[in-house]
Amino acid sequence: MPACTMGNEASYPEEMCSHFSQDEIKRLGKRFKKLDLDCSGSLSVDEFLSLPELQQNPLVQRVVDVFDTDGNGEVDFREFILGASQFSVRGDEEQKLRFAFSIYDMDKDGYISNGELFQVLKMMVRDNLKDWQLQQLVDKTIITLDRDGDGKISFEEFSAVVGGLEVHKKLVVIV
Amino acid sequence: MLWTVGFAVSQNVGFSPTLHNCGNKFEKWATLRMERGAKEKNHQLYKPYTNGIIAKDPTSLEEEIKEIRRSGSSKALDNTPEFELSDIFYFCRKGMETIMDDEVTKRFSAEELESWNLLSRTNYNFQYISLRLTVLWGLGVLIRYCFLLPLRIALAFTGISLLVIGTTVVGYLPNGRFKEFLSKHVHLMCYRICVRALTAIITYHDRENRPRNGGICVANHTSPIDVIILASDGYYAMVGQVHGGLMGVIQRAMVKACPHVWFERSEVKDRHLVAKRLTEHVQDKSKLPILIFPEGTCINNTSVMMFKKGSFEIGATVYPVAIKYDPQFGDAFWNSSKYGMVTYLLRMMTSWAIVCSVWYLPPMTRETDEDAVQFANRVKSAIARQGGLVDLLWDGGLKREKVKDTFKEEQQKLYSKMIVGNHEDRSRS
Repeated sequence: MPACTMGNEASYPEEMCSHFSQDEIKRLGKRFKKLDLDCSGSLSVDEFLSLPELQQNPLVQRVVDVFDTDGNGEVDFREFILGASQFSVRGDEEQKLRFAFSIYDMDKDGYISNGELFQVLKMMVRDNLKDWQLQQLVDKTIITLDRDGDGKISFEEFSAVVGGLEVHKKLVVIV
Repeated sequence: MLWTVGFAVSQNVGFSPTLHNCGNKFEKWATLRMERGAKEKNHQLYKPYTNGIIAKDPTSLEEEIKEIRRSGSSKALDNTPEFELSDIFYFCRKGMETIMDDEVTKRFSAEELESWNLLSRTNYNFQYISLRLTVLWGLGVLIRYCFLLPLRIALAFTGISLLVIGTTVVGYLPNGRFKEFLSKHVHLMCYRICVRALTAIITYHDRENRPRNGGICVANHTSPIDVIILASDGYYAMVGQVHGGLMGVIQRAMVKACPHVWFERSEVKDRHLVAKRLTEHVQDKSKLPILIFPEGTCINNTSVMMFKKGSFEIGATVYPVAIKYDPQFGDAFWNSSKYGMVTYLLRMMTSWAIVCSVWYLPPMTRETDEDAVQFANRVKSAIARQGGLVDLLWDGGLKREKVKDTFKEEQQKLYSKMIVGNHEDRSRS
């Protein structure tokens, strides 16, 4: 793999607002450089997909989209650190739930619609389930969770079900 | 500095374990010195996790999703939900873990060392720490390039020429016991000279298990040097593709003295043909055991990757060998996408030494209820266990290629079963 000579390793801007220490940021920086095969300064989906274990993860596209806060299709170093920070052991519950919510909320409008839930579920099962079976599951989930009857799931409705069960502790990667 | 010179010289003419120990102690001192210097400047030199930058939690898809669902036990226990919003947590976490640190790509680049061995190529945070250390490093460079390198190149040249000439001469003899005897010894002698040329310090274990005629010897692959290391302690028939240039000359000469199995480029693709020729070779008990590296590519000696099943289908006795290099004095891994063969050999010859251990494992044969793949995995696990390497199912070919689609679909199938399985139960009741 090519080694990039770009970037000043010695200091990273404090306004990164992450949960990481300087030392952890340095290590993540090294990892970032290693993933950045064309030394462009940002990671494209293809560069993520160069990791064999990610190639078999059905939600990789969603995770990359959630990282990519400015929506330019690539993840720069700042987005990388901020994204990873949400998985830090020092992160709070709401941050993690927001991350999980964003996986479903594809158009980032603050609601999980029927179509969005269907698409994410489809990514996870591919052709192993028929569309009508999937649609059934989706409809059922929305009916169960939708309290205000608008046909969509808001973040409050989402956290009501998923939050408070300490489930967010599963979204932790210790650097 | 006297010890370094003495050490290097002694390695070139003979093995000296005490100087080897001195070498280790010296390196520890050099590292401590660097760490002290680094602390003074508030730098962190080496990662605390040398096996990766994260602490991983290995659970399977089913286990984890069930656990997540169970912790949401506000639902009645008999009403097993088919799909939960929290199911994505598993995939997200796994994805994040892989992004931070994956098991596969780090096998294709050289291992990172814990203590510095005075080679700037292994120090990734090379900074000016102290005058003394820099002077030492400079002296080290001088010794390695001006003293050891010419010595080693001369030895290598001698070894290779003797091999070509020797085997050609033996080739003129009529076939018979005498020819075989001479050929074995010519090969052995030349390999031993090449071992000296690389200053390889090899420790052989369990030599009573060494491969016999009619068998196949399999080993994990780290570099082309593996061949020289094994062949300097035993007699083998080589398998490989016909090359041009110097390699081609060597190959043609070798095959005159005793039968090796060289394939033309076009024949390599034909698996049937390959299997046939290998089978013919092992069935002839007068021919030497074949040496094969089933990984198919060089891996960085921290793990053993998938063994290709071809050699395990033939039905011969398999003699597994584990080779573990100690990267302290010189890293033997050949990163073929970074360095060509000549650059690689020069790097080998300008390291301090190549230190490795070879374990000959007891022979294994395929059981009646096993298929070739299971047999290959069994051998692979034995080798990994002995050499202290990580046993991976991933294919070494991933260095250059993408994962096959079937692997991608496996995860999706597994998850679908979790949802559908419950669905079917409910429709039955």
